[in-house]
Amino acid sequence: MEILFVLIPLGVTLVAIAAGVLIWAVKSGQYDDLESISRRMPDDEP
Amino acid sequence: MTGSAYAVYDGDELRDTVSAAVPGGRREVLIGVDGMHCAACVGRIQKLLVDDCVDPRISLTSRTLEFRFDPQRTQLSSVLERLDRAGFKPQVLAQDQGLNAMVGERRDALARIGVSVLCAMQVMMLAWPSYTDGGVIDPGINQLLRWSQWVVATPAVFYAGLPFLRGAWHAISARSLNMDVPVALSIMIAYAASVWRTLAGSGETYFDTATMFVMFLLIGRFLESRTRALAGERLRRLAGSRQLTAQRETAEGIETVPISVLQAGERIVVGPGESVPVDGVLLDAAAELDEALLTGESRAVVHHAGERLLAGSLNLGQSPLRLTAEGVGAATWLAQITHLLQRAQTERPRFQILADRLAGVFILVVLVLASAGAALWWHAGIDHALSVALAVLVASCPCALSLAVPAAIAAAGSRLAAIGVLAARPQVLARLPAVDTVLFDKTGTLTMGELSISEVTVQADVERDTCLALAAALERGLTHPIARAFSAVPSRLFALGQAQEVGRGVRGCIDGKDYRLGALDASESQARDGSTLVALYRGEQCLATFKLASTIRPDAESTLEALRAQGIAIELLTGDADAPAQDLARQLRIERVRARQTPEQKLARLRELQSQGHVVLAVGDGINDAPFLAAADVSCAMPRGAALTQSRADLLLVGDSLSALAPARRIAALADRRVRQNIAWAVAYNLAVLPLALGGVLLPWMAALGMSLSSLLVVGNALRLGAADRDAGRPAQPGENSLTEVCA
Repeated sequence: MEILFVLIPLGVTLVAIAAGVLIWAVKSGQYDDLESISRRMPDDEP
Repeated sequence: MTGSAYAVYDGDELRDTVSAAVPGGRREVLIGVDGMHCAACVGRIQKLLVDDCVDPRISLTSRTLEFRFDPQRTQLSSVLERLDRAGFKPQVLAQDQGLNAMVGERRDALARIGVSVLCAMQVMMLAWPSYTDGGVIDPGINQLLRWSQWVVATPAVFYAGLPFLRGAWHAISARSLNMDVPVALSIMIAYAASVWRTLAGSGETYFDTATMFVMFLLIGRFLESRTRALAGERLRRLAGSRQLTAQRETAEGIETVPISVLQAGERIVVGPGESVPVDGVLLDAAAELDEALLTGESRAVVHHAGERLLAGSLNLGQSPLRLTAEGVGAATWLAQITHLLQRAQTERPRFQILADRLAGVFILVVLVLASAGAALWWHAGIDHALSVALAVLVASCPCALSLAVPAAIAAAGSRLAAIGVLAARPQVLARLPAVDTVLFDKTGTLTMGELSISEVTVQADVERDTCLALAAALERGLTHPIARAFSAVPSRLFALGQAQEVGRGVRGCIDGKDYRLGALDASESQARDGSTLVALYRGEQCLATFKLASTIRPDAESTLEALRAQGIAIELLTGDADAPAQDLARQLRIERVRARQTPEQKLARLRELQSQGHVVLAVGDGINDAPFLAAADVSCAMPRGAALTQSRADLLLVGDSLSALAPARRIAALADRRVRQNIAWAVAYNLAVLPLALGGVLLPWMAALGMSLSSLLVVGNALRLGAADRDAGRPAQPGENSLTEVCA
């Protein structure tokens, strides 16, 4: 079970990366508007 | 478009209104960009701005552009012209600090929720072996798990949980207690005890409780603030729709000016697709306008010459329209509504204040109980005592109680807005369901506000057109229905010392002679067919009488029917004469009618009903009604009435139709029920789990789960209020499913 001494810290590191990416995505406005994007394509059709 | 159209933005005053000062002597401005459709457009705009704009932020979603510029070096107009030449249609938007703050808050909350969810899941996984172990885990691995939990829980507590810690700190430094105090206390106790055990290498840890608690609380608060944000959306749309410049027609031609310099009486031109900057009277024969923003009515509205246009409506026609400004700036209907809504948002409903006060006492009790629990279980060891104290703290957190009222109020508010009713005061929601009597005014309320001149009878040796012109001059600029009937009449005359006398009409001086337009002398003031008669007097001589016909609102009958179905008594109080009042009452089957009421008599009748224990809703329009509306338990004004009435009314029917009245009462009743259910649930839940927590049955993590579910239940119950409307209240619209039909 010694492998846990590698895997658990690895897991914690992955969580840190995931959290970092999430914070970047939120702060750069990726989640600001979840509504209108889906309607844009038919809207833009001339 | 010529360059001068944008030059107006270089003036100090307008520039300072549209842009906000930022550090470094620069100013920040928000611009709406039409014609920006794709990433390539964004790239082009970026290139256009690269020379003199700092930190441009371009949003394709909202089609806005935000940048900073140095007013010493850069003229705002030159940037706008460059955009215009490149084929984009820039439109400077009013600085909306509230919107920016709201977007920032939402992003912040989402980031914190994300981090707390990630960390809570991870901690839960790492804590799982210790739930099940039975002492078989290798001590080394056990210690590894503890340390890993510590590492993962730390950002969850100090980043995600920061709002609670900060809130508690502020409350304690102000020597008061708020909801954040027990929350922060439980988080910190759980965290500190766990850290201590981790360092000591033995004993139970509570990292899972702490992270889960933070996660559920954050989600609960986020949902609550979303509900409130939805209610605020309409307000922001209203505020954002203010026009900043206007085209003024002068002897020299048309010039673009900031709206702050406009004055009543000036002529304004509104281009196709532009929004009307002021309240005013239409000069063109007819115009098609979109008033959706103001009334919720999505169909185009056609107005004719002499009718009143409202600031904020859009010119849908193909050609420019012209109007004479009447209300400008803060006097516009739009500005007044915005102001009222802002006040309503800051005003706290009475039971909210009560709930907050209760919560304060509650928290104190919780803190005492938690210490008592710890003392009670001290004999079983510090581990158990700590666990009990933590469970009590978490389980009894009155979060649901504090959410109970605002969530329901906000949901009800947005539902009311959807049917064209604005609650100007939150207290209304509590009082409206209790209403058992409705007092209606006649003119402009049950009948259409718009009267028209159906007959002119000349009584003296004066020409018919002269009489009309004299009358029109006397009534110019007034908003009473009788005045509006004359507003379409062309008149070159001007009345000096124009004065309105309640119940007696209006007087003024034209060409050195005193004129009065008002009710006929008592004996002969009504026509048999229910129309209104007014007479024009020069001194004491009657020059002419005008017969004004009004029509019953098409939705009056169904509204009264719906109100009667709710068991409400209806009474008609009017200043009009007996015949038209009786006539109207017959048509609408109103049994209790009082005609020829002075404002004092109306007020007296209202007080009489109130003293009999009735809860009275007054629906009115016009200056005669102001004291009457103010004294009623709930007052409701028709929006196109006089400005004075609006500021006193609790409810505004912005859709210009009565039909929303009955549904509004039903929604208020529903909201009231939801509030009661929520409070009952929150109190019952807290009382039920407290003994379990004190008895040591309820473990801290269970308490965290239960408390959060309880909060979610309360918020969900409130949101049900908004959801019910979407299914039941809206008729199916043909063509709505066209896209899905095509795809299928």
